[in-house]
Amino acid sequence: MSSHSDQAYLKTRVGVLSARLLDPDSVERLKQMSLAQLGETFDLQPIFEEAIDNRQKIRLVEQALLQRLMHELSVLLRPLSGRSRGLMLYWPRKFELYNLKTLIRGKLNSLGMEEIRDNLFEMPENIRLPHESLLQAENVLEMLRQLDQGPYALIARQARNVFKEQHENFSLDAAIDRLYYTGMLRHANITDGIDKRGLKKVIGLMIDRQNILWLLRYRLVYRFAPSEAYYLLVPYGGRIQREKLMELANLDGLETIIDHLPQQFKTILADVKNITQVRQRLDHTAADELRKLMHYSPDAVVSALSYLIIRDMDLMKLYAIIQGKLLHMDQGILNEAVPGNPLPAGSVEATHV
Amino acid sequence: MFSPLPMKHISLQVLTADLPSASMILAGLNSFSPDNRPYAEHELPNVPGQHFRECYAQAKARLDKISSQVEFTAPAFSGDITPISEQQLEAVNQWLGQAWESCSDFEESRRRHLEERRSIDQLETTLANFHDLQIDLGQLQGDKQFLQTTIGMVPRAQVSQLKDALGLDNYMLFPFHESDSESHVIIVGSGGNEGSKLKSVLDTAGFRPLEIPPELHAHPEASETRLLQRRAAVEAADEELGETIQGWSESANQELRQAARILHLAAPYVALGEAARQLGNLSRLQGWVPAEDIHLVESALGDKLPNAYVLETRDPRPDERGLVPSVMRHSRLLRPFSSLVMQYGVPRYGEVNPTQLFALTYILMFGMMFGDIGHGAVIILVTLMLRRKLRSFTPFGIAAGLSSILFGFLYGSIFGYEHILHAIWIAPLTDPLYMLTVALLWGIGFIILVTLLNILNHLMTGDRIGALFGDNGLLSLLLYAGLLGTGYSFYAEGSVGLFWGTLAVLTLIGIFAHKLVEQEAAIGERILVAFIETFETITGYASNTLSFLRVAAFSLNHVALAIAVFTLANMMGDLGHWITVVLGNVFILVLEGLIVAIQVLRLEFYEGFSRFYSGDGKAFKPLTL
Repeated sequence: MSSHSDQAYLKTRVGVLSARLLDPDSVERLKQMSLAQLGETFDLQPIFEEAIDNRQKIRLVEQALLQRLMHELSVLLRPLSGRSRGLMLYWPRKFELYNLKTLIRGKLNSLGMEEIRDNLFEMPENIRLPHESLLQAENVLEMLRQLDQGPYALIARQARNVFKEQHENFSLDAAIDRLYYTGMLRHANITDGIDKRGLKKVIGLMIDRQNILWLLRYRLVYRFAPSEAYYLLVPYGGRIQREKLMELANLDGLETIIDHLPQQFKTILADVKNITQVRQRLDHTAADELRKLMHYSPDAVVSALSYLIIRDMDLMKLYAIIQGKLLHMDQGILNEAVPGNPLPAGSVEATHV
Repeated sequence: MFSPLPMKHISLQVLTADLPSASMILAGLNSFSPDNRPYAEHELPNVPGQHFRECYAQAKARLDKISSQVEFTAPAFSGDITPISEQQLEAVNQWLGQAWESCSDFEESRRRHLEERRSIDQLETTLANFHDLQIDLGQLQGDKQFLQTTIGMVPRAQVSQLKDALGLDNYMLFPFHESDSESHVIIVGSGGNEGSKLKSVLDTAGFRPLEIPPELHAHPEASETRLLQRRAAVEAADEELGETIQGWSESANQELRQAARILHLAAPYVALGEAARQLGNLSRLQGWVPAEDIHLVESALGDKLPNAYVLETRDPRPDERGLVPSVMRHSRLLRPFSSLVMQYGVPRYGEVNPTQLFALTYILMFGMMFGDIGHGAVIILVTLMLRRKLRSFTPFGIAAGLSSILFGFLYGSIFGYEHILHAIWIAPLTDPLYMLTVALLWGIGFIILVTLLNILNHLMTGDRIGALFGDNGLLSLLLYAGLLGTGYSFYAEGSVGLFWGTLAVLTLIGIFAHKLVEQEAAIGERILVAFIETFETITGYASNTLSFLRVAAFSLNHVALAIAVFTLANMMGDLGHWITVVLGNVFILVLEGLIVAIQVLRLEFYEGFSRFYSGDGKAFKPLTL
């Protein structure tokens, strides 16, 4: 994208759409709403009124929210062409990679075709895997042979390993995540945008968040050895680069690891009690940082990408709230799962990642 | 003849048990297209055959996969037409499932052989790398008292991360060879307690140990021989697998043919989709049938359905026009032209089918632009020689050749020679202005004709406003007439005639007013849009008319190219002369012939079809056997 008019168009679009983003007060308001009010506000009433069980409703809500996100993406894609368009089209590929995980896991666990299909995201044609032929595969080996023929050969190999050796699926997930983030970085490196630094910052933020969360899970929950935990991470983060990641992988204990994080993370993660709180605070501060990039980056593509990432996080929050309401969860649990502002009081202004 | 065949909507009520038979009977007629719109959802809540359909889809997918594995091609369908029961389909599906299991094993074996071949390739590469050292490769593998060494392969992209990860466990990794996607590495460490950690991280990394077999624990020359033996063993196993597949394919051929036949017979019932609905023993089926085939449907159902049935037919309602499929039955001669028309789109039901007009005008314009007896004869000859490849397009080539010959006689041209035959009409280059005038008049006639067709299309769908004021409606036609009259009187008399001038201005105001009214926007925007669109109407007619000058231009071009060829030929000796004449004619035939064919198609589609033909109709897809 090069023309000033396209930049202006995209910036304006992002500006208009950004009014839909949620601030902590809006999240609190959503939590207080009834299911009917949520349905009316987000046009989800027909789903809530359908005579189907809650599991199906939750699934339909998830699909509806994803469709909403995909629609906004299609609006933002309109003025884009060439490499910028390629980058923006790559971002939603993560949902397709979720589908890939679902397909492989489903086949590994010998689930039925319908059961797997029910758990796949409906994605636009241009980024969609040939689900039907993969689903029609009668066993995992047949599906892996199909994957061997395309760009997911590496994933197929990892999956074959998981299948043969009866390993856990972490290596598979990690391989898929790494494939995604390296793809994002590759697109960012070749894009013709005017704010490559901003773009890499956006991607760096996503990778750092992913790395911290998974490092903590691998080391503290699954008790992986440092080498294995490190191997499963993505060594191209924004603020946490390769050496730092190796140092962190060698540590043990939540407090110790947080103590050795770069200062910005250390401040916002001070006194967290568990990994859920880590995720909430990382998401919150990442969203803050992305908002700044969305408003102030000179490159409309950076603004648009930042918008989509925040919007995705917001829709996940909305999804969690609706899910909680459908399952009649206690308000206290809902507050814990989706806090409006997860940072300790008084630290909002001072801490940004 | 000039529009798709009149259609009837049919609704057939039968016993549910007779539904498969009904689908077979209708498929046998090749005249019934299911109407999949939702209907009678409360009275008939079920869609019959859901399980049948799922079973069919799985069986079909299995047969396709097996066919690609064992190179089985289903034979052309013949024999008795009997409905397939769900039990029969299930049995076939089950057999195909077992058959696919065998085929899947074959495929997996093939993949393993391929992997083994790759492994041998890798070992050979490893051997080559260590060739100069002249050491026993076995020494590089296995646990020693103080040193643990492992050789293997990892995906290239992961090498650096694995190196870092192993560094955390005090192991070192050295890549020593790289292929497209893999790196060969040696991992060295102190072993001991770290051994289990190493295995864990290597498993996670998808590390493939390169087992150096005992036979390679020797000097390189001996190892190479052993590797060759191993490769020969894989080749033999692969050959044996090929024979096994062949044997399996031959033994299963009869069952595969039977499965293909059953699936073929099950297809019509599957294709009914939601056009059939059911409640208990009663089912209903709806769809479209050409009106002229209704009696065939009635007699076939009467003869072949075992139980009573109710068949209701009705004409399509006005609100269904967009949903009615268009059926066009053309003679063999018109079929290639119909195929070209379909490239633009399917005519809407009730819309004029432009195939005949297209065929006539295309052939005439082609001849006019490429008129030469010799070239036309060559086109016919080549078409006849290639008739097996051209198939249904053969009449197209012959018609183009005949038209070229006809205009060749009119122009007096044979292989570019204009003095051999006397021109019945005119030799184009003798009066270019006359040729251009003829082309212009042809274009005007063509545009008036297609505009009239557009008005007719609107009237047939009851859209009077569109017929009168719409784009290419009556008002536009009168504007065109006014502009032409004004232009002609200015050219002939030097002044604008009152009648034509008034007609042009009034129609222009009328079109502008209509566009102003039909817009839904602020007044300023309305005026702007109406002004631009009215202006576009004028420029559209002017440019489309002038576009037809190319008809004359190409007839002149044809002669000019021939003159160029003869000028060159005359500069040569005897042999050179004839070689140049022949090659020049080949050049004219291939290059100009192709350009003319494309240019005529462009005139038809852009100047003609875009004015009257929407091409967004629904294709007729009948149930077939």
